[in-house]
Amino acid sequence: MDLLEIRDLNVNFKLGNQEFTAVNGVDLDIKEHETLVLAGQSGSGKTITCLSVTRILPASARIGSGSIKFKGEDLLKLNEDGLRRIRGKEIAYIFQEPVAYLNPVFSVGSQIAEAIMLHQNKPEKEALREAEKLMGLVRIKEPHQRLAAYPHNLSGGMNQRVMIAMALACRPKLLIADEPTTSLDVTTEAEILKLLSELKKTLGFSLLFITHSLSVAHRIADRIAVMYQGKIVEQGSRDEIFGAPEHFHTKELIAAYEKIGKI
Amino acid sequence: MNKLLLTGIIIIGILTLAAVFAPFISPYDPNQINEGSMLMPPSRAHLFGTDSLGRDLFSRMAYGARISLTIGLLAVGISTVVGIFFGSVAGYFGSWADSLIMRFVDIMLCFPTFFLILSVVAILEPSIYNIMIIIGLTNWMGVARLIRAEILSLKEREFIQAEVALGASHPRIIFYHLIPNAVGPVIVSAVLGIAGAILLESGLSFLGLGVQPPTASWGNILIEAKSTLGVAWWITIFPGMAIFVTILGFNFLGEGLKKKIG
Repeated sequence: MDLLEIRDLNVNFKLGNQEFTAVNGVDLDIKEHETLVLAGQSGSGKTITCLSVTRILPASARIGSGSIKFKGEDLLKLNEDGLRRIRGKEIAYIFQEPVAYLNPVFSVGSQIAEAIMLHQNKPEKEALREAEKLMGLVRIKEPHQRLAAYPHNLSGGMNQRVMIAMALACRPKLLIADEPTTSLDVTTEAEILKLLSELKKTLGFSLLFITHSLSVAHRIADRIAVMYQGKIVEQGSRDEIFGAPEHFHTKELIAAYEKIGKI
Repeated sequence: MNKLLLTGIIIIGILTLAAVFAPFISPYDPNQINEGSMLMPPSRAHLFGTDSLGRDLFSRMAYGARISLTIGLLAVGISTVVGIFFGSVAGYFGSWADSLIMRFVDIMLCFPTFFLILSVVAILEPSIYNIMIIIGLTNWMGVARLIRAEILSLKEREFIQAEVALGASHPRIIFYHLIPNAVGPVIVSAVLGIAGAILLESGLSFLGLGVQPPTASWGNILIEAKSTLGVAWWITIFPGMAIFVTILGFNFLGEGLKKKIG
């Protein structure tokens, strides 16, 4: 049994009287300790697939059919309360624009502490001490001073580290990273990718990583799944995908990556 | 700091100090009737003069400031809490909860507030507490609309999605994450609302349905002033000026805050 098994997932959007299919019969498996990269162009349904896992979809989206089994339990059959026990505790997310995903009126320390307190019955003082440790874990320098910093005081890379600290606060089994490095410059991107793979080794979670960049995929993936127009068109180990791409969209993505490589 | 804000803070600051230290700055007992000094014009002994029962007007107004400010603050406190609660619930949950609450707001807004308060006070007893509660419960609709609009846009923001993804509950998201981000305009409207509440209380007291004599309030000093307007101008002028300056002060404060945070 894999950690996460998605079977025949369909997600539709309702706009007025019309329905659009965003995710169309997706099958996806993630094993423990594995990094699966979900690659594809914008609008291919990568993000919607990932948001479906703990049902944090936009209000206009509806999951039509399918099953999402996490540790053998079908998440689509759980109610709000059941999902809340999974969210953040077992499955955590990091997103693309870290500043936008942090509350502007609270310090980053208190936000990390909140992530701890949401699932663990701890007094605030202890949670704050733990938040400081977590900030050290994600390589934020001088964590004690930075506890009181606000998101607008920190750089994009720093804020992404804060997001990672919040996501890992309860030691989730699965981390879903939705283009976490797209808004960052290449140096910071490399640092964040390195940090993620180190943390994965020390903490032992599985990583579902969404990206449109095959260069990022090449650096971190164990396996790669390519999405195109709401469907998974190709899936395989990193070497299989890069060695012998079959679908034309995979070939396009690889060609784009190699073109950039040559420059 | 802008000039409006500064002027507002100074006016309200002086008034607040006068109200808090009323027993120390009043030269006489505000309810002490003195037959020997009826309708005395302002002098060194009686700074603002005396009324038809010989009571010192300055002392009565200092104690009246307590009543007016307390009623203003608490009435607005009640209306802000009620408004924030209904507005945030309506904005966050949407659908039928939103329709229900906002239609109720529309209904409440249909009543002419002053006459609604008049009839409620006529049925209940006109005490300070009743007045505060009634003013509070008839003035929360503006706050509710304001906070609903803020929450409608805030709840679509990414940090709320992140909070859901961390497993936060609805009450936690509303009260801990949304409301702190939405209170800016509410603070402004609350400060402006204090001015309105004070004016309302003065109006009610003037009609005899507010604070009951002998307790002094700026409004009920004016009732007595009405009958002696021809002979004792000071009983009308000073409480009238006090109300005017207070309203102006709160409006300055509110407008200043609006520029700063709204």
